[in-house]
Amino acid sequence: MIELWICGLVAVYAAIRIAFIKNNLLKLPFLNVIGFAVAGSLVLILKDPLSLAAAAAFFIGTTLESNAIASRIAGGKKE
Amino acid sequence: MQLFPVKENATVSGQKIYLTNNIKEYQRVWFDMLNGIINIIAAAIVAWIIFVTTDILLGLPKKGGVSGAEAIGRSVEEEGGDLNGGYMIGNIVCSPDASAGTLLAACGVYVYGIYGGLAAVVLVFIGNRICHDKGYAGTTGAIIASFVIWGLSFYGISPEQFIAGMVLAIVTIQGLSHKYSSRLLGKLWRFRS
Repeated sequence: MIELWICGLVAVYAAIRIAFIKNNLLKLPFLNVIGFAVAGSLVLILKDPLSLAAAAAFFIGTTLESNAIASRIAGGKKE
Repeated sequence: MQLFPVKENATVSGQKIYLTNNIKEYQRVWFDMLNGIINIIAAAIVAWIIFVTTDILLGLPKKGGVSGAEAIGRSVEEEGGDLNGGYMIGNIVCSPDASAGTLLAACGVYVYGIYGGLAAVVLVFIGNRICHDKGYAGTTGAIIASFVIWGLSFYGISPEQFIAGMVLAIVTIQGLSHKYSSRLLGKLWRFRS
């Protein structure tokens, strides 16, 4: 139970930190923390082999989104 | 978990009487919780060591893998941090690296034992390819972490404590102060190279 509380509180903490940061690029690491916390709590809430797939899909999805946002801000692909 | 254990003591004319001031029970429950917290902190330290060493040995702080990671690294440097540490923070954000591997390996070992951990390795590998990451930091980290977590689950630290520990470990890098965490990572990187 305490493990789930830690994950939840960390997610709330990161969400509060995001609200007070001006630079969009520096918001993304906190978003990553939320991804970790949510993926962990997903598995802790429902102990099932499929929750592993759900957590992995969620986490990879958030990193891909952060990747896309950061690359867009940086000016796209550079060759 | 029962925070305030209630002990059934006696029955008077059909009604149960509960006594809540059983000191031994209180002590046991609080001791269990304290033990759990100590285990989570130990798990956080082990997870931190696993993912930071794997990332640094595989050269994540060297340069940004994609242009977004480079931009995050430069933003961290503008804030007063270290450029190489910033690159590593950017790489962790932009692709599942060893930290994600450790978390998903812990989840896998929690749901299905060592085979769940190996399934997590496959998922992390697919995630790396989806995110245009050419490296193998995530896969390597997941393999190391699943064996370590599986092994430690026989010595008292359960995989669910590792999930919470990994969340705490990533907070120290990504969620407290980018300035100081990037300086620490930069120091470790220069020590390695």
